[in-house]
Amino acid sequence: MGETKNEHPSSPYAAMFEGFRKDLDEHQDRRERVIKASRDITAASKKIIFSLQRLRNIGQPLPPFVTKNNAQYWEIIKERYKTISVDLQGLNTHRYASQITHGNQEFMEALTFQHYLEAQKLISYDESKAQMAALSGEADPVQLSIEDYILGIFDMTGELMKFAITAMATSGKLPEGRPKKERKPKQESSEDPSADKMDIDDGPSPQSGEEKPRNVLSDMREIRLQLEMLEAPRKSKLSDDVEKKAKVMRESVEKVEKALYSLTVRGSERPKGWVPGAEERPAEVESY
Amino acid sequence: MAPQNGMVDPAMFQSLQAQVDEDGAIRDELRDLVQALEKHNRNTAFVLSRAHSTPVTELRRVLRAAEEHIYASVSVITTLAPKASEMPYYKFNNMWTRQMQDAAYGMLFWSWLGGYEQDGKVPECGRLLTIEELGKIMHIPVNLKDRDEFHLTIEEYLFATIALVEELTRLARNSVTLGDFERPVLVNQFVKDLFAGFQILNLKNDGLRRKVDGLKYRVKDVEDVVYDLSLRNLVPKKGESEAEK
Repeated sequence: MGETKNEHPSSPYAAMFEGFRKDLDEHQDRRERVIKASRDITAASKKIIFSLQRLRNIGQPLPPFVTKNNAQYWEIIKERYKTISVDLQGLNTHRYASQITHGNQEFMEALTFQHYLEAQKLISYDESKAQMAALSGEADPVQLSIEDYILGIFDMTGELMKFAITAMATSGKLPEGRPKKERKPKQESSEDPSADKMDIDDGPSPQSGEEKPRNVLSDMREIRLQLEMLEAPRKSKLSDDVEKKAKVMRESVEKVEKALYSLTVRGSERPKGWVPGAEERPAEVESY
Repeated sequence: MAPQNGMVDPAMFQSLQAQVDEDGAIRDELRDLVQALEKHNRNTAFVLSRAHSTPVTELRRVLRAAEEHIYASVSVITTLAPKASEMPYYKFNNMWTRQMQDAAYGMLFWSWLGGYEQDGKVPECGRLLTIEELGKIMHIPVNLKDRDEFHLTIEEYLFATIALVEELTRLARNSVTLGDFERPVLVNQFVKDLFAGFQILNLKNDGLRRKVDGLKYRVKDVEDVVYDLSLRNLVPKKGESEAEK
């Protein structure tokens, strides 16, 4: 402050601009803190998602190696949210929305994905808000906007796609819920062609999904249905974002459908461990 | 359609939709007001643009004509303010920030030309309204920090100030065309002072920075005009200009 006192003694507006500088600097500092936190939260969330992608089952508690590995990243997320929660209060609650949105969306992606793997359910908005509040400190919680929640779910369908394809590639079946686990199709048995044929037949029939455990594809379709029904206000930022993400989501669902198709058509002819459609989409191999 | 124990709870999506719709409805309501404000801003700018072709002695009529539109925009702002204050300010502020800048700019230019009468005093020419004075004209708070209400922000004020400099640069040249060699000198000093003020700010790489970066060319433009005048001994001496008034 002091060093600039006599910088521009001639300007009658110097005092006024010095006042502005102070306020603008504070604003920029807050903005930068939020940007940094958002970046860290994004990175940590991505790492959480990576280790969740090592799982092959749904509707089960996370195995200790995943919980242990991810604890450090949840800790980072918590710490960053705590750091910036003070910058996102009162008048400033929505001021840095476009700076924090990436972090929030990626956080939502990790949160929904983990919740799905554990409970095979889509985490609700209220529950997500509560989770974020718990992380950022109950007194001055960081608000999760509906927009960030919705966009995070859109992104999560991409993770479900990767999860489903990887599981199909490695275990030869589409992951499904717990109840009827003993009915798992045995791709490797070649001595009983009729049994294989049965498996193939009920794999892709979604209509008869009522009494059977839900699988990843039917869950993806259900999310897709709800998200497609959602009507964003015209010409809003949300509607722009949704339009882009909806396209990717549709592709994700279709990728799983295609993979399931090739598993169904060719599955019986292939040895276990053969990757369906690997030659067409090498990018979906799990990354480290 | 999906069972309660399924993947998603349809009721939750219905409630999300309801909240999204509510935001949309607020947006629609605000948009009407913002559009009305925009119309008045355009009218103000239209009338004030006559300043470029009107000699100072006849400027009063122009300023009075502009006043009507300015106060029309103020009345929209005073309707907008309480409505917008019901919502978090920064959730919707991008809807009106441009129009608030334009409204502020109209008032700055009008006042600079001597349109703003304060406490019954004869308005003086070449004065920059402060952000507080603008807030008084608009009947809204300015530069709020501790409460979440509608207000005029520093950024909006600064953008309006830059627009004023750009307009005055034009005015400096056009004054010469009208045979007024005194006003360019006034503009020159004013623009220089403002530019010095802007240099005090620590600007980051954003819209304001880009605008301020362009300011130095405007300063130079006005300097060139004054240079041309002084080269030809056309700049009125201090004493002369006083006597003329």
